[in-house]
Amino acid sequence: MSEWIVFSFAAILIIGGLLVSLLAAFGLFKFRFALNRMHAAAMCDTLAILLVLLGLIVINGASLLSLKLGLIIVLLWFASPVSSHLLAHMEVIVSSKLKDNCELPGQEEGGSSES
Amino acid sequence: MSRIRSNYDSSFRARFRRYIRGEEELKDVDYMPLFKKQMDEERAEDERATEHYLVPPIKDPMEDARLYAEYSGIKWFRRLYQVMAVLLCVAICAVLIYNIAFMPGFGSEESPMNNEVSERYLSQGEEETGVTNIVTGLIISYRGFDTFGETHVLFIATIAVMILLKLMKQEKPVVAEGEEEGGDIILTTIARVLVPLIFLFGFYVLVNGHLSPGGGFSGGAVMGAGLILYSASFGFTSTAKFFNEKIYDIVKVGSLLLYSLLIVYNLFTGANGIASVIPLGKAGEILSAGLILPINILVGLEVACTMYAFYALFRKGAI
Repeated sequence: MSEWIVFSFAAILIIGGLLVSLLAAFGLFKFRFALNRMHAAAMCDTLAILLVLLGLIVINGASLLSLKLGLIIVLLWFASPVSSHLLAHMEVIVSSKLKDNCELPGQEEGGSSES
Repeated sequence: MSRIRSNYDSSFRARFRRYIRGEEELKDVDYMPLFKKQMDEERAEDERATEHYLVPPIKDPMEDARLYAEYSGIKWFRRLYQVMAVLLCVAICAVLIYNIAFMPGFGSEESPMNNEVSERYLSQGEEETGVTNIVTGLIISYRGFDTFGETHVLFIATIAVMILLKLMKQEKPVVAEGEEEGGDIILTTIARVLVPLIFLFGFYVLVNGHLSPGGGFSGGAVMGAGLILYSASFGFTSTAKFFNEKIYDIVKVGSLLLYSLLIVYNLFTGANGIASVIPLGKAGEILSAGLILPINILVGLEVACTMYAFYALFRKGAI
């Protein structure tokens, strides 16, 4: 019985991760602007992988393999947001239609709420 | 008595005489500010032109195709094209999936992969090469000559890229000298934590190659990635403090030469761990497997140097 509880818990985690990555893929193709798409893609890099790997850890139980999976989670949560941040930084520097797509600190709020 | 011109006081000669006597300093001629203003205007115009040139108007690449399709009356062709693309994709998928049914089961004995060669590797590999990770024993001991060639391919590829980039005389480097310093603070903070761990993990994979999955190529790739991360976050000048072109040459050429020496020794003694004088040791220990451990380390250094060299060559044109 307890095996089934553990298994279903892990299955819920893994399926949740798959759903999140599905949403991320959907968002990646739905949005038009690079920063919006990056937001969707970064969700897949962090939350989806976290849920899937947590599910695998729950299935595997406490062992060295689980520790390694946990280290993978830590590494990804360190590395992925930083790379997303750098990409977004580059986009802000380079993009020519930034003003059309998002609200800059200098702009007034009235213009963006109308559009 | 010569006549003094009415504008003598402001003439160059009078000012020069006064300058000699120390009464007045020669100042900029009056037209200099005008000239400067003109220069500034020209420069601003140039900058505007360059800016326009640097950021061309981004155009939807599908726009031309859509307009062409609309105005030339071949809209039905696009529909047909889309439908046929999906149909073709589905058909190829179906054929491939159908063929999977006829493939031998995973790890079954009838599989054509499982001939006497792999059997021999699996049964005798640990005894003959002294490794517990048969893959490393395979690529470095049994097929050592092949791996030797691969390492040379890496070396020659780097040399070729260096020759090509040196031939194209770059007027200015891609990364300006002052520009690269003081990288992003988030990146720098994370890199300070991650780079030592990446190097440690790369070294672990490298040294543990004959015991667990890994080996020279993967460990070297990890270490090269660590080097690239370091130079991307702290700049090339701080990387050059411990890894400049001189050290790069020594490491790269030295490791390839040592590798050549070891592999030649291996081939002379019959390309087999048994005949070599170097003891194989007990399988499963770090210091075992004869020549495989040093060869792994040398291959890893070679791969790390190659990865970093490609990054540095394409980013700033030199190492």
